[in-house]
Amino acid sequence: MKKICLMPIIAIVLTSALMIICMTNQTSWQYREYYKEIRYTIGLPSIAIGTNYEGTRNPLLEVFVRSLYDVPGGYDYVVPSSFIDTPLKLREYHESVPGFNMTIRRG
Amino acid sequence: MIKKHRNLLRYSFDCLSRYRMRTAVIVVTFLMATTMVSAVLFTKEGLEREAEISVKMAPDLTVQYLKAGRVELIPIDYADTIAKVDGVKSVVPRIWGYAGISTYTFTVIGLETSSIPTYTTFGSIESGRFLTPEDAGKGNIVIGKLIAGLLNVKVGDDIILLSESVEANKFHVVGLFSDASSIYTADMIVMSIEDARKFFRMPDGYVTDFAVYVEDYEQPANVAAKMSFMPNVRILDQDLLLRGYKAAYGARGGIFVTLWTILLVGAALVAFSQAVVVGHESKFEVGLLKTFGFSTLDIIEVRLVESLVLGFFATSLGMVLGYVYAAYLNAPGLVDILLGWAFLPREFRLPVYVSWSSVFSIYAVTVLPLLITTVVPAWLNAITDPELAMRRAAA
Repeated sequence: MKKICLMPIIAIVLTSALMIICMTNQTSWQYREYYKEIRYTIGLPSIAIGTNYEGTRNPLLEVFVRSLYDVPGGYDYVVPSSFIDTPLKLREYHESVPGFNMTIRRG
Repeated sequence: MIKKHRNLLRYSFDCLSRYRMRTAVIVVTFLMATTMVSAVLFTKEGLEREAEISVKMAPDLTVQYLKAGRVELIPIDYADTIAKVDGVKSVVPRIWGYAGISTYTFTVIGLETSSIPTYTTFGSIESGRFLTPEDAGKGNIVIGKLIAGLLNVKVGDDIILLSESVEANKFHVVGLFSDASSIYTADMIVMSIEDARKFFRMPDGYVTDFAVYVEDYEQPANVAAKMSFMPNVRILDQDLLLRGYKAAYGARGGIFVTLWTILLVGAALVAFSQAVVVGHESKFEVGLLKTFGFSTLDIIEVRLVESLVLGFFATSLGMVLGYVYAAYLNAPGLVDILLGWAFLPREFRLPVYVSWSSVFSIYAVTVLPLLITTVVPAWLNAITDPELAMRRAAA
C-alpha cells in the first residue's frame, strides 16, 4: 500500500510546495524595497540590463544601429536586428567599432 | 460506496507502477516541457514587473533632442523654456552615456550634485557615501558591484577610465552600491555632471537630456502636450517607457513560450500514443474487470485518477524545477534569449515572479490535455463488449 501511494503523495506535496512558493513570492514582491532615494536622485528608468527599445537605458542599441544599419530607413531594423545576435559576441564588431575598444584599469 | 471508491483509487495507484514505461514517458516529457515553459513565464513576468516598478520611479517626462530623426545633445537653454511650461515642477539636466570595459558596457551618469537632497539617506550604499555638492568636478565616483568586482576596487581606491577620445581619466571611488540594489546599480558609475561633461568631452551648453517632474495635480501627458510647440524635442513619458519594456520582454518571452507550447502539444501526443498502446494491452484487463462487475464509469474513474496523479506530479515538479532554475541558478541558456543584447552581471539576481495566472495556465495546458488523451481511449475500451474485448486481446 505504501509503495503505490508514494507517487500520489509526492504529487500532493509538490503541488502544495508550488502553492507556497507562489504565495511567498507574491508577498515578497508586495514588500519589495524599491530604493526610492537612488531612483529619484539618478532618475534613470531601468534595471541594470539592456532592452531593444531605444527609449530605455540601452547600452548598445544606438551604436549597433548606427554602425551597421545607418542607411536611410535603417531604423526600421531596430526590432529585426535584435534577433541577429549579441553585438559584443561578434568579434569583428567588437574589435573594429570605435567606442568598444576602450579599456579601464585600476589606478 | 466510499469503500468502492477507495478500492478504485488503490487500483489506479497500482496501475501507475504496473505500466511503468507509460508513466516514465509521460513524466519525463511533461517534466521537460513544463520546466522550460515555467522558467520562461516566471522570468518574463519578473522582468516586466521589475520594469514596471522601475518606471514608476522614473522622471514623469524625459525630454530628448532630435535632429534628422536621431537623438542628439540638447541645448541647456531648453531647460528655461521647459520650466516655464504650465504644470512643470522641476527640470533636471542629465549627462549620461556608456563606457566600455573589456566586453562589458557600463552606464556613466553625471548628476547635478547641487540638486541632490542633503537630507536623503542612501540605503543602497554599502560602503562609503553618496555624492555631495562638494564633489562637483573633483573626480569622485560611486560605483556598482560589477565594476568593483571586475577591478577589485574598494572605497578609497582610484580607477583610470579611458574615454572615447582615448584620454585617461582618473577617478576616486567614494562609495559602493550594495549587493541588494545590484539590479539597478550593478553597471553604474555615478559622478558629478562636471566630471561627466569632461569625461564625454561634451561641449558647454549641452546635456544628454532633461528629467522633468510635473506638479502633483497635473497629468504628465497633458504637460507633454503643452511642450509640443518646442522644435526638435522628443518627449518620453512613463507609459511609453513601460510599453517599450513590455514589448521587448513580451516579444522575446512570447517566441520562447510559443516554441515550448509546441513541445507541450508534442508531449500531449506522446501521452495519447502511450495511452492507446497501453489501452490495447489493457483491453484484456478491461474486459476482465467488466466481467467482474466493473462499470464503464468505474474504468473511466480509474484512468482519470491515474492521469490526475501523473499530470499533477509531472507539472508541479516541472514548475518547482523551473522556479529553482530561474530564481537560484539565474536560468543559464535561457537568460540570453530573454535579455537579448545585455549581459548579466554575476551579482545580478534574475527577478522571478510566480503568479497564480501563470501557474494555473500551465496546469491548464498540461493536465487537461493529459486527461482527455488518456480518458478517451479508456472510455472506448470500456464500452466494448467484455467478451469481444478479451477475444481481440487474446488474438
